[in-house]
Amino acid sequence: MSQLGRVKQWNTFARCWHLFDAAWQNPLECAPTIEKYLKGLIKPIYHPLVDCGDHVVVINSKQIAFPGEEWRRRAYFHHTGYSGGASWTPAWELHDRDPTMIFRKAVYHHMKGNLFRRVVMERLHIYPDSNVPEEVMENISNQIRSLRSIPKTLDSYSKDEIEKYPKIIDYPEDFILTKN
Amino acid sequence: MFKTPISGILYGASKVSTKLFVPSSGLHATASMKLKEIHSNKVGNKLIIEGAYTSSPRKDYLIQNNGECCPLCNLGLDVKHTDVLILSQFVRPDGCMMPQRITGLCKTQQKKMSKLVSMAHKAGLMCNLAPENSKKDPTKRKLWKKYNTYFDESTIKVYESHFKTIKENILLDYMKSRKSEN
Repeated sequence: MSQLGRVKQWNTFARCWHLFDAAWQNPLECAPTIEKYLKGLIKPIYHPLVDCGDHVVVINSKQIAFPGEEWRRRAYFHHTGYSGGASWTPAWELHDRDPTMIFRKAVYHHMKGNLFRRVVMERLHIYPDSNVPEEVMENISNQIRSLRSIPKTLDSYSKDEIEKYPKIIDYPEDFILTKN
Repeated sequence: MFKTPISGILYGASKVSTKLFVPSSGLHATASMKLKEIHSNKVGNKLIIEGAYTSSPRKDYLIQNNGECCPLCNLGLDVKHTDVLILSQFVRPDGCMMPQRITGLCKTQQKKMSKLVSMAHKAGLMCNLAPENSKKDPTKRKLWKKYNTYFDESTIKVYESHFKTIKENILLDYMKSRKSEN
């Protein structure tokens, strides 16, 4: 067996730990990719009854992004069980209370409901920022590629860079640029 | 934007002269950055005020527009709301979109750009282009506005007929050039 093949074998039969940065990622889009790693669908030995899933550590879950007006429009339903116990919470309000819950719910609801779901969900570790305990961080051997690129803000560019960027329009001759 | 402080020299001149520097007349008393500058010289009892043109800071980096349509149509760019270096060219330092008579874009592109600019503002990508006393940090906004949002550009409506006329114009031009060659 070649050296690469041996490492592949180790990775298949061991429980690997993967890191995922959730900054500017849509949790609903990320759910299918994270599910693959949690269930071990990427492994050649996968079978629904084989417990071959990996751990996934998600960081910066407070900085997740939603498209358009989704923060206001998306509602999370909860029922206490008593009459009149139904409540609908907007996504932004839920995110205020617990910045990890939206991501956890997104992954949980994407998976098919069976007896393994809660077992698989135990392998998902979500942290609102990049402060991860050392005993978790030392296990990590792989990083999952982010799906959406982080947009660059205007103040991250230098003044010289903005000035020398090719200009599409010019000011008219009698235009007053700044207030005083 | 239109409040102009009057410098010490000019204030002494007369109350009538201050009316001259109301911005509706297109003149300003003091400015660090503007295309038109006002110089005032005192020679004896006379106060001479003159408006002088200054060169634009964009002059050296401007893309020449040779086509018949507006500069953006001519370039044929697929502008996204994250392209802040392009969008910031159509925006005043306080963050508001410049009108069509200043940008010189066609009606369709002007509408499209103004929507993209508002998207970029909502996503907090141009937070340093904002009114002076506003909260510039997007994470300190209220309610749902403090969280990261992105936008889909396909939600902006584009009027097909406009592009049809552009295509027709290009075809007509091509026919003309062929005729002139023959």
